[in-house]
Amino acid sequence: MDLLSNLALGFGVASSLANLAFCLIGVLLGTLIGVLPGIGATATIAMLLPITFQLEPVSSLIMLAGIYYGAQYGGSTTAILINMPGESSSAVTAIDGYQMARKGRAGTALAVAAIGSFFAGSVATFLVAIFAPPLTAIALEFGAAEYFSLMVMGLVMSVALAHGSVLKALAMVVLGLLLGMVGTDVYTGAPRFTLGMTQFADGLNFVAVAVGVFGIAEILRNLEDEHDREVMTRNITRLFPTRDEFRQMVGPVLRGTGVGSVLGILPGGGAILAAFASYTVEKKLSKHPEEFGKGALAGVAGPESANNAGAQTSFIPLLTLGIPANPVMALMIGAMIIQGIVPGPNVVSEQPELFWGIIASMWIGNLMLVVLNLPLIGLWVKLLTVPYYVLFPIIMAMCSIGVYSVNSNPYDLFAVAFFGLLGYVMSKLRCEPAPLLLGFVLGPLLEENLRRAMILSRGDPTTFVTRPISAGLLVLSLAILVLVFLPQIRKRRDEVFTESDA
Amino acid sequence: MITRRILLASTLALGLAGAAAAEFPDRQITLVIPFAAGGSTDVVGRIVAERMGQELGQQIVVQNVGGAGGSLGAGQVAKADADGYTILMGTVATHALNPLILKQKPYDPVADFAPVSLLVLVPNVLAVNPEMPVNTVQELIDLAKTDPLAYASSGNGTPLHLSGELFKSMAGVQIDHIPYKGSGPALTDVLGNQVPIIFDNLPSASSHITSGKLRALGVTTAERAPSFPDVPAIAETLPGYETYSWNALFAPAGTPPEAIEALAAAAKATMADPAVAGRMAEFSATIVASTPDELAEHVKAEMAKWEPVVKDANVSMD
Repeated sequence: MDLLSNLALGFGVASSLANLAFCLIGVLLGTLIGVLPGIGATATIAMLLPITFQLEPVSSLIMLAGIYYGAQYGGSTTAILINMPGESSSAVTAIDGYQMARKGRAGTALAVAAIGSFFAGSVATFLVAIFAPPLTAIALEFGAAEYFSLMVMGLVMSVALAHGSVLKALAMVVLGLLLGMVGTDVYTGAPRFTLGMTQFADGLNFVAVAVGVFGIAEILRNLEDEHDREVMTRNITRLFPTRDEFRQMVGPVLRGTGVGSVLGILPGGGAILAAFASYTVEKKLSKHPEEFGKGALAGVAGPESANNAGAQTSFIPLLTLGIPANPVMALMIGAMIIQGIVPGPNVVSEQPELFWGIIASMWIGNLMLVVLNLPLIGLWVKLLTVPYYVLFPIIMAMCSIGVYSVNSNPYDLFAVAFFGLLGYVMSKLRCEPAPLLLGFVLGPLLEENLRRAMILSRGDPTTFVTRPISAGLLVLSLAILVLVFLPQIRKRRDEVFTESDA
Repeated sequence: MITRRILLASTLALGLAGAAAAEFPDRQITLVIPFAAGGSTDVVGRIVAERMGQELGQQIVVQNVGGAGGSLGAGQVAKADADGYTILMGTVATHALNPLILKQKPYDPVADFAPVSLLVLVPNVLAVNPEMPVNTVQELIDLAKTDPLAYASSGNGTPLHLSGELFKSMAGVQIDHIPYKGSGPALTDVLGNQVPIIFDNLPSASSHITSGKLRALGVTTAERAPSFPDVPAIAETLPGYETYSWNALFAPAGTPPEAIEALAAAAKATMADPAVAGRMAEFSATIVASTPDELAEHVKAEMAKWEPVVKDANVSMD
């Protein structure tokens, strides 16, 4: 078997003492920066690029990859503990993870996230090994029309994902779409809603918006009522999930891994879309959808698995085509070029040690992360007992440094302050921040691809239904819409589920 | 680990330079790269910063100030203290195209900067998806006269967009322009045959050309590129056609001449280093390592060349 001998070669390369050490350094650094809210993998990898100059190509890429998925783990930790998504893809984890933490189940939430991520990471690693070339071919079938329909589906999901009023969720999505329009129009170069400030010519910074509406807003809310926090810290009972909780997480983890593996391959926010999609799926399939948003275990297990699987499979287009799926992958290309490796289809055949070594190291890195993180859970949870007058200023400082480090743009800090206030007002009005963020991410992609598809079809809108993949996605969105807007159907569906259970 | 290594390197370099070294530089230098980390300017900048720091005996810290097509970072250096401790990795975009395209000019590319050194020229390439029934630039021009075609570029007002516009006006054909947010997504769509044609930087397209997933019709430089001797220059079909991207170091206007000289000398030594030269060659970049005066002439020539193209293509931004 080619695959087995290739994997053997990969594990041989990845388990050399030096490479194991670099993998460990990478995941440690990654976890650390993931835990510090705002300081993202992008900034860290950029800062480390010059050092990779001195290292062996395999070692440097193993270390950088370790930082990337280590940051995914660490980002979930802060999302759960302090409602501060350290990475954009853990924004979904914050919804239910933080509620679990408030109910004294922080340890369980962290353990579920770690175990789910490990499982998803392992599966996705083997998917990368087996399916990299054919999966890339599928991703290439996605043109502007397909992306547009995919984004439509994402937006429909974001409404389905909200709990409470559909009207408020819609309003938040629309607000997100509008915020996403800030910046230079790709087609005409006209600046839109920048208020004349060139600093916003490239739009609002996602990290700034997310840290504002989730994190800063949460701090403001806590300051208003300190008693909430005391309750939260007193109630920590167990650190690890019970057997029953393990059983509950099996389904969400499996489905999340599947969703994440597929969406991760697509360029442009695959991992974050995967997390949102998995959350919607779990909520729809759950026997207790009312628990979502109030600390549902499946709401942590599913999206966490999905975003980690997505993070892993986003290496597929990088390694097989040399095309970055996200900014971190773009940096990895930079790292490869610095080493004199031209990323692209030839890497697999010309540098098999490099290709398979990186793949094997991903699995080793995931194992290290689980081993590192499970014992650390107790320590992280203790963080919650730090008094707020110490913790909050530290969080604020870390956020500010982190957000500034992305673009060295002081206006991003103004954005954090503004969105912190907005998030606070929104929480007073009982509006969810998650649909707003998804609208903000998907809006620009939706518009860009809609207009690109229309230029390519020379103004013919039927292009969206005559292309099979696009038509399929639109039909799926319609089906989701029907499920949301016809509560009777949902009620009947719930009955069916109860019956089949009995 | 990092700091120790760099400290060691810098003390060593200081020791070698010894008493001959002037007062400049006596602390670390910041190199502003006006684009996000990971792009081709970033890669060139980081390779150069590392080696140049050793030449100068001081660490050069790279700072990415992306945004507004490079205008934010360039504008920041234009307003920085003119002491030589803040320098810019300028490009054809920051010092020729943006000043012509932007209606509100954030800086003056000539008056606000002291040129240091033109480091490298980077060729662009015209390539098509292999399913396109054309093998030469002439066949593409013939096809464009009868069929509606579209080409992808890394964005509105980028050197690649204007390379395409210059091509259209010189060949007398109409091809729709489809801008993307960067070279990566544009390449993806051409590889997947969503858009048939692309103007791209040669370094970012090179691996796809070698593997046959893209068919290169011509490079945009006046001569063929040494890394791809089999790919003709577009100028062989359209005489006079020439565009390329370039990277050059600039300091703020008013920087003391000693500092400029020290920087230019370090840049020259850096580009002469075989290790750096080797990396640049793999990158399809041609080393120039000019003097400050040559760079000043180059900027003027580039602005004169692009002005009519920008006007013809009717590209402008507020």
